[in-house]
Amino acid sequence: MERFKLSIAGREKVGLAAVFVTILFLGAGLFRLQVVQHAELAEQSENNRIRVVPIAAPRGLVLDREGRIIIDNRPSYTLSVVPAELIKGVTVPALAELIGLDTAQVHSRIRRNLVSRYQPAAVKRDIPFSTVAVLEEQSIKYPGVGYQMERVRKYTDSIGAEDFTGYVGEVSTDELDKNDSKEYRPGSMIGKKGLEKYYDYLLRGREGTEYIEVSAGGQIIGPYEGRPRIPAVPGADLTLTIDIDLQRACYQAIDTFCCGAIVAIDPRNGEILAMASYPGYDANIFSSVIPADLWEQISNDSTHPLLNRPLNGQYPPGSTVKMVVAGAALEEKLLNQYTTFTPCVGGYQFGNRFFRCWNPGGHGSLNLEHSLEQSCDVYFYQVGLKLGVDRLGDYYEQCGFGRPTGIDLPGESPGLVPNTDYYDRRYGERKWTRGLVLNTSIGQGEVLTTPLQLAQFYAGLANDGVVYRPHILKKISGPDGTEELPEPTVSFKLPFSLQSLDILREGMRMVVEGEHGTAKSQRRNWYAFGGKTGTAQNPHGDNHSWFGAIAPLENPEIAIVAIIENAGHGSEVAAPVVTGVLDYFMSKKNGLLELSAADMTEEN
Amino acid sequence: MLDYRNLDWKLIGAVMLLTIIGVLMILSAQHYENSDYQRTYYQRQIIWFFISFIFFAVIIHLPIRMMDFSAYVFYGLSVLSLILVLFVGTSHTGATRWFSFGPINLAPSDVAKIAIVLALSRFFAYSKRPPASIRRLAVSAVLVMVPVALIIKQPDLGTSLVFFVVLFSLWFWSGLSPVWMLLILSPLISLVAASHPVIWAIYMLLLVIGLLILKPGTLFGITTAVANIGFGMVTPFLWNRLADYQKLRILAFIDPGQDPRGAGYQIIQSKIAIGSGGILGKGFLNGSQTRLDFLPERHTDFIFSVLGEELGLWGTTLVILLFGFIFYRTIRIAARCRSRFVSNMVIGAGSILFFQFIVNVGMTLGIMPVTGLALPFVSYGGTSLALCWCLIGLIVLADYHWQEY
Repeated sequence: MERFKLSIAGREKVGLAAVFVTILFLGAGLFRLQVVQHAELAEQSENNRIRVVPIAAPRGLVLDREGRIIIDNRPSYTLSVVPAELIKGVTVPALAELIGLDTAQVHSRIRRNLVSRYQPAAVKRDIPFSTVAVLEEQSIKYPGVGYQMERVRKYTDSIGAEDFTGYVGEVSTDELDKNDSKEYRPGSMIGKKGLEKYYDYLLRGREGTEYIEVSAGGQIIGPYEGRPRIPAVPGADLTLTIDIDLQRACYQAIDTFCCGAIVAIDPRNGEILAMASYPGYDANIFSSVIPADLWEQISNDSTHPLLNRPLNGQYPPGSTVKMVVAGAALEEKLLNQYTTFTPCVGGYQFGNRFFRCWNPGGHGSLNLEHSLEQSCDVYFYQVGLKLGVDRLGDYYEQCGFGRPTGIDLPGESPGLVPNTDYYDRRYGERKWTRGLVLNTSIGQGEVLTTPLQLAQFYAGLANDGVVYRPHILKKISGPDGTEELPEPTVSFKLPFSLQSLDILREGMRMVVEGEHGTAKSQRRNWYAFGGKTGTAQNPHGDNHSWFGAIAPLENPEIAIVAIIENAGHGSEVAAPVVTGVLDYFMSKKNGLLELSAADMTEEN
Repeated sequence: MLDYRNLDWKLIGAVMLLTIIGVLMILSAQHYENSDYQRTYYQRQIIWFFISFIFFAVIIHLPIRMMDFSAYVFYGLSVLSLILVLFVGTSHTGATRWFSFGPINLAPSDVAKIAIVLALSRFFAYSKRPPASIRRLAVSAVLVMVPVALIIKQPDLGTSLVFFVVLFSLWFWSGLSPVWMLLILSPLISLVAASHPVIWAIYMLLLVIGLLILKPGTLFGITTAVANIGFGMVTPFLWNRLADYQKLRILAFIDPGQDPRGAGYQIIQSKIAIGSGGILGKGFLNGSQTRLDFLPERHTDFIFSVLGEELGLWGTTLVILLFGFIFYRTIRIAARCRSRFVSNMVIGAGSILFFQFIVNVGMTLGIMPVTGLALPFVSYGGTSLALCWCLIGLIVLADYHWQEY
C-alpha cells in the first residue's frame, strides 16, 4: 500500500487538480445553462412572469325579425383560481365552503379548466354578488382566488324559443379535440344546441389577449409592454325570421296541454315564423351550473321537456298527409277530382281484414275533394292500393318526408318513409302483405314525420309546389357594421302540377268551409284559410291530434302545423289551436292588434 | 510588528472583491421588497463586512504559535459551548440553536468549525503513527464525531458534512494515500450504490476485485468488505429514518419536476434565473426572477442565481474564477509552509470554504442537492461572513509566517 503514498508536492498537485477540475465542472454547468439552454430558460422566465389573460369577446345578440331581443347578454361574475397561487390545505377548503361544493369537486373543476398554472381556471360561473363581496373583503382568506366579470346568455323565457335558440355551455374535452384549439380553450363557452351551436362560429367572435406581468405571488405588476394587447372581436348579431309575437302566441296556444309542438313557416321564402315545443325548459339554467336535482328532474320528466319536438319529435302524421296520397294519384292519372270508389260503409274489407274508417257510420260515395273534406279513410285505402307501397313511398320522399329538411339548426331527425326495402328488412322478404300500404295511405303504420317536415310540405302546397329550405336566420350584422342577408334557397319542388295543387288546396278549403268539413267549426268569416286535420293513432297512448293549415287561402303567407300529443281528434284539439294562432297572425297582419288592445282598455 | 507589504494582498483583494459583489447582489435581491428591513439587508451586510474585517485584522496580528498551543483548549471550549447551547440557546425556526447577545445571534457550530480545523491540524502534526494506522484514523474521527454528534441534534446536515470534509481533507494532506482514502470511504459509496440492487451488486464485485489486487492486509480488507455490506444493507433503513423534508430534498434533487412547488421549485427557479441571464445578464436590479419573487432564499442560499440572472455568464465566471484563485493560493500556501501544523491549518480552513463553494454553486445549477450551505463571502449572513473572513485570516497569517517551524 505504501507504493501509493504521495509526496507533499504530489498532494499539492492533486489538490490543485481537484480545484481546477471543480472550476471546470462548475464552468461547464454554467455554460450549459447560460449558453446552451439560454433560449429555453429565458422563455420559461418570461412565462413565469407574463400571464396571458384572455379578453372575452361579447357573444352576438339574437333578435327577432323586428329587432326585438331573443338572446341577450347579462353581466355575471365567474369565480376562478390561479393554481400556482393556491396554498395547499387553505384555499380549497375555504373556497369549497364559500361556494357550497366539496373539495374534491373544486379540485376536479380546477383540473378540468386548467390552461396553465398561472392562468385563472374557472371554478364556478354566475356566482351571486354577495360571494363577490366576501371575496373582496376577505381576500386574504382565499389566496389565489379571484373573479372575473363575464357576460352570460340571457334567453327570453316562456316563449318556447329554446327549440331553436339552444344554449351555450362550457366546452367539453370532446369538443376541444374536435374543434380548432385556437378558437376554444378549456373554460370557453360553446353553443351546445340550437342556433347557438349551428351559428356558434358567427356568434362567438374572437377572444382577445392581454399580457400582464405578475410576481411569483400572483400580484399584478402591470401590463407587459413587450407584447401588444390583442383586442377581442365581438360576435355578429343575428336577426332571425322568428316573429316573437307569433312565437308567444304559438306557445300560449299549446301550453295548456300536456305536450305538443307548433311550427309556422312563411311559404314564400321558407322563413320560420314561429317554432315552439311544450313543455320546454328554461335555457337560462344552462348559463350557470345546473343543480343536480334540477337536472335530474328535467331529464327524468315523462313529458320530455328536453325533446325538441319540431325537429326531433317523430310522429305518425295521420290524415294530414292525405294530400300526398291524393296528389300522387292525380299525377299518376289514377283518378281525377271526380273519381269515386267503392263507397265508405265505415270501413273497407281487404283480404280477411276489415280496415276501419274513422267514421263508423260511413261516408258513402265521395269524390276526391269531398273525401279530403271529410277525411274519408276508405277512399284513401283504395287510392293507396292503386299506388302501391313503393310508388307512394316515392311520392312521400319527393314531398320531403323521410329526410331532413336542411333547416339551419343542428340534429334534425329524418322521419321515416317505408318502402319495399324497408318492409323486407323489417319483416323479412315476402313476410308482409300489400295491406300495409293501406296504413301508409292514411299516414299511419310505419310512416313518421317531424312537425317541421309537415310544415315544410304545407308550405310547398301553399307556394305552388316550390319548397324553400326552412331557415331561421334572416340577417347577420357583423361587428364592423356589415350586414349580410342570406338568400332563401329553393329546396325542392313538390311532384305535383299546378292543376293538381289547385285540387288539393280546394280540398283543404273544404275541410274548413265545406258543409261536412272536419274543421268547419274553425271557419272564419274575416279571412279564408285551408287546412287538414289528422288523428294519428299511436301505440303508446291516446291519438295525437294534428292540424295543418295555410292562410290566407288566396295568397298564403303562412303555413302552420300543430300537434297536440295524446289529445284525440285533430278537429277537436289541434284545429282550434292552429286557428287561434292564425287569428293572431291575421290580426297582426291587418293591423287589428292595436285596435283590439285599445278596445280592451276602453272596456276596462 | 507586521510588515504589511508581505501580506498576501492578491488573496485579500480577491476575498474583498467577492464580499463587495455579495453586498451588491444582496442589494439587488431585496431591492423591490416592501419592507424597509428587507430592503436594507445590504447595509447590514456592509456593517458585518467591517466587523468581519476586524476579526480578520485581529487574527493576522496574532502570533502563529498561539493557534498551535491553544488548539485543544479552543476545541474543548467549543465542545462545551455546543453542550451549553442545548440548554440555554434560543431556538430559531425550530432548527438551529444560537446564543443570543442582544441583536447578535452566535452559532457555536460556526466557532466549532474553526476549532475542529485547529484541533485536527494539531493532532495530525504531532501524531507519530503512520498515516494509515487505525488508531490515528480512529482518534481523528472521534475528534470530529464529538461536535458532529452535538450539532446533528439541531439538526443541520450541511454543517455536519463540513466537519467530515475537514477530516477527509486533512487525512489526505497529512499523508494518507488516495487508495486508502478510497477504501475507507468505500462504505459511503456502498450506501449510495445500494439505492439500486444491480448497481450495488456491480459495485461490490468491483470492490472485491480491487481488494484482491491491492492486498491492503487481511484485517483491513475484511473490515472494509463487512463495512460495505453493512452500509449497503442499512441504506433502506436509514432512508426511512430521514425526516420527510430531507427525503423531499433528495428526491427533488433527483427529479426537480416532481414537486415543482416544493423543494424542486427552488432548483427549477434557480436554473431559470441563471439560464435566462444568458451571457450578458439582464442587468443589475433588472432580473425578473429576482425582482418578481420567483427566486426563493435569494439573498442567502441562492445569491449566486441572482448574480447569474443579472450579470450573466461574465459575472458568474468572474466569481468562480475568484474562488478558483483563492483555492489555488490556499494550496500553494499550504504546500510551502514549513510547519506541519500551519500547513494542515491552511488546508483545513480552505476545505471548509471549498466545500461550501462547490455545494452552494452546484445547488444553484441543479447539480447538487439543496443543503442550505451559504456561498462564502457572497451570501447574506453575519456569522457566515465573519467565519469565512476568520478562515481567510488564518490562511493569510499562515502565509505570512510560512518560513517558521
